Amino acid sequence: MKQKHSSIILEVAYRLLIPVLIVFGVYVLIHGEYSPGGGFQAGVILALAVILNRVLEPADVKKNYWTYKTIALAGMGPVIYMMTGLLSIPFGGHFLEYGLLPLPVHEVERHLYGILFIEVGVTLGVMATIISIFDSLGKVGDPDERGNLL
Amino acid sequence: MMFVIFLSLLLLIILITGLIAVFLPRLFGSGILFSAFSFFVVLAYLLLSAPDVAFTEAVISVISIAYYVIAIRELRKGDLE
Repeated sequence: MKQKHSSIILEVAYRLLIPVLIVFGVYVLIHGEYSPGGGFQAGVILALAVILNRVLEPADVKKNYWTYKTIALAGMGPVIYMMTGLLSIPFGGHFLEYGLLPLPVHEVERHLYGILFIEVGVTLGVMATIISIFDSLGKVGDPDERGNLL
Repeated sequence: MMFVIFLSLLLLIILITGLIAVFLPRLFGSGILFSAFSFFVVLAYLLLSAPDVAFTEAVISVISIAYYVIAIRELRKGDLE
């Protein structure tokens, strides 16, 4: 099927930009402990890579987005955060006490891995929430049984 | 001394861009001026040696201009019908 493009320059720029955005988002997530950045900023950058596609798409193309799955992913982020926090309680620690996580490494490295898991949860939550807000603003997605767009 | 002069100039530019962005009647131009405003806010944060806040502000300004563009597109769709 032949599709109309909104602008060939923006399309090419988007294709060059998206790998850079994804790699930079992951870099900000992992290296956020030593440099400016962290879970929130990485989530916004990764969401930007998805949102650019939706901005550049022509208005008459049939949308087939996973709107409900976006909201489910937004719930998965806090679940990862909570599971990481609760995992140290059966091993005799408090909530979010990273030193007692059951990992076969030194205690200092356990702190790093615990913070990394927390940041992954924050990243997933922020990314999916931003994409979900964007979809609600643009009124895309499948209509429900009453015909309302989510 | 140089620092104070540069920061005052930057704050003046921030004030002017913010006022124009609020009082401009055209919605799309107002959004673009808002992104210019937040760019100068990022420069001010960097000058005040807060790179973490500056990075967050830059990222948030990009995502909010995307929100404004899609909301203005929806508004214009309603005008045409």
